[in-house]
Amino acid sequence: MIVVDAAVCSGCSRCEVACSFFHSGKVGRAGARIKVVKMEEIGIDYPVVCQHCIERYCLKCPENAIEIGALGQVIISPTLCTACGLCEALCPIGAIELFEEIPYVCDLCGGDPRCVKACTLNAIRYEPETTQAVALKPFKRKSRNRSPEEKRVQFALAASEPIRETWLSKRRA
Amino acid sequence: MLHGYGGYILRVDLETGHIRREKTDPKYMMNVIGGRGLNSTRLYDELRRDVDPLSPENMLLIGVGPLTGTLLPASAYTTISGKSPMTGILGDSAAGGFFGAELKQAGYDQVIITGKRDTPCYLLITNDNVEIRDASHLWGRDIWETTTALRKDLGDNAVQIAAIGPAGENLVKFATVACNNSRMFGRTGMGCLFGAKNLKAIAVRGKRRLTVADTLTYAKLCEKLETDIRHHPEYAQRHAMGSTLLMKALNGIGILPTRHFQEGVCDYVDDISGETLAKKYKVKNKSCFNCNIHCSRYFITPTHEGEGPEYETLCSYTSRLGNSDLEFALRMSTYLNRMGLDSLSSGETIGWAMECVQRGLITKEDLDGIDFTWGNTQTIEQILEMITHRRGIGDAFAEGTRSLARRFGKGTETYAFHVKGLDMICGDPRGIKAFGLCYAIASRGGDHLRAEPFFELTERYDEAEKRWGIREIADRLAVKGKAVLVEHTERQALLSDCLTMCKNIGLSMDLMNIDFASRLLTAGTGLRFTPERVDDALKGVIERDRLLNIDFGIKPEQDTLPERFRTEPLKEGASKGHTVPVEEMVREYYKLKGWDERGVPPAQSGKHA
Repeated sequence: MIVVDAAVCSGCSRCEVACSFFHSGKVGRAGARIKVVKMEEIGIDYPVVCQHCIERYCLKCPENAIEIGALGQVIISPTLCTACGLCEALCPIGAIELFEEIPYVCDLCGGDPRCVKACTLNAIRYEPETTQAVALKPFKRKSRNRSPEEKRVQFALAASEPIRETWLSKRRA
Repeated sequence: MLHGYGGYILRVDLETGHIRREKTDPKYMMNVIGGRGLNSTRLYDELRRDVDPLSPENMLLIGVGPLTGTLLPASAYTTISGKSPMTGILGDSAAGGFFGAELKQAGYDQVIITGKRDTPCYLLITNDNVEIRDASHLWGRDIWETTTALRKDLGDNAVQIAAIGPAGENLVKFATVACNNSRMFGRTGMGCLFGAKNLKAIAVRGKRRLTVADTLTYAKLCEKLETDIRHHPEYAQRHAMGSTLLMKALNGIGILPTRHFQEGVCDYVDDISGETLAKKYKVKNKSCFNCNIHCSRYFITPTHEGEGPEYETLCSYTSRLGNSDLEFALRMSTYLNRMGLDSLSSGETIGWAMECVQRGLITKEDLDGIDFTWGNTQTIEQILEMITHRRGIGDAFAEGTRSLARRFGKGTETYAFHVKGLDMICGDPRGIKAFGLCYAIASRGGDHLRAEPFFELTERYDEAEKRWGIREIADRLAVKGKAVLVEHTERQALLSDCLTMCKNIGLSMDLMNIDFASRLLTAGTGLRFTPERVDDALKGVIERDRLLNIDFGIKPEQDTLPERFRTEPLKEGASKGHTVPVEEMVREYYKLKGWDERGVPPAQSGKHA
């Protein structure tokens, strides 16, 4: 899976750009499967991407269009998918989002993630051996009826708390 | 289909509420490229010359380059232009961040704003949907609060916002516009222009994807630029400190403005350097959209935190004012960012006052009883608050140094360090001659970025010989060949501005030139941007800028530097004994441009004689 170290992320969004460009030859955040949440007021930039969660909420797809690949990645069948949006609604962290009636979610670029290559700060790493390590249940309840962007912000805020604590203890001890 | 470009020009009249979307015209763009070139030409074509900068008729232009928001690294800038309320001539200012890419992805190459709203408003752009909305609840709030509040109101944290603070609302002449909280459109008072139009902010959400014409070629060119950046000899230093590396570098060559340019060497530079800032306060790197240098920094002090500062702010609030307290300077940086004040111009008003008091030209009583002695942090803090709200003597300061010195007279004008009304940046030109010429001729006033002739600092003698046949160009203290250098880098700088690209990369690191840009532009846009075509476009923009400024009343006598830099040699350090023979350099520059002895381009010399 893709492992994020937001403590060193500068927020440059090169991961978004590389992702969008690799998948479509076009560039735009809407077409990226990794999205950086930028919170200028607390200095946090957090790339949010599918965490291959233990719960696999997206598998509740009513059309059975979603399966999990050998690398642990989410695979969506373009023929079975009806763009109902349930996977987007079920994902607690906003890692699946519909754009032009297609659900966009990280596919690990077939095992060679372009976002990892684009990141020059080592804030995003690919760890092929790590699968289903993250539990997203703690985020599930608060994510109801939220937009993908709002869910990403909630996740990033909570996940970056230890980073802020480290910074403050270092600079304000 | 037009690639690279957003594809549309947006016209908004705040008075009538009329909003119109025009298709971007490829023929027009071939002559101006985009960004600053597009903005300048729009002013040249459409602006009534005698318009009062603060009147509804003045135009407010937001331009983004044709390749911004695509795969191209380090091209995240946006340029805001208009007739400057501060100088009365061509005004523009650029900033990085994420606003430009978002505006492009919403489909726009330029936003043209005219008129004035009766009540505070903000402009909301979501792809094709454009609305003028009420901003009464945001008026009076600082830039950071405004950004947070707007994102909350809109329920979307990813919306990009360019906003003004109280300084812009109060029409402080050097008020800024900011995006991403700390990315400042700092110079020439574009924030004041927002305020004059009752425009608090522009919020943009772009949900389109940008295409390029020749995807594979374009990707290869982008990869080359990325690699060039990564392997540049200055990469590590720029990554660690950004522009703050200049504190020690400029001190080392004796041109770090200290106590308002009375000295070029600061004995406590180690207390206020980029190195110290990185070691004691930096917690991580920050970046503009799609850049692989990540030269900006997030800092935390015991009391404050924020992004930045850049060198000009750091120097303006430390050595230039005789202040050795770095934590105080960082606190002021956050204050300026929140209120929306330009650090250079605000700092110059204070430096001017401190030097005039030192010389006995004005007294404490003239200045509301405030004690303007060197490095008085309480004074600095107090006057900034008074400028922001135009209280007491702060009202006069808010007009800028040129106007302030005119008001006091008594020889204080000699110490107002501006060119054409725009305060000088933090680099003593006496030890960097090409920069001296650049400040003198820059079309927005006392500014280095119009040509950024960084080459003269590199000591690349063989390269100078190869490019221009003049070895001295690589020697910062030499005068010979500097007009040639400035004439050349002025086009290179404009090229960066037209691509709304970062000049650290395009110019200082010398990684963008006309040939490479022409390949990028052709692959990116699908238009035949030959090197000749690009160069002609750049020359055309420079000429139109000059003609526009002549129309605004600029005289050749104003293509000069304040007296100190022409006549008083630096007293110590590595540039000791030097001044800038600016008249002869300006004359040579005119000649190279093919302008007459009064600096008028040939086609128009009859008309303007």
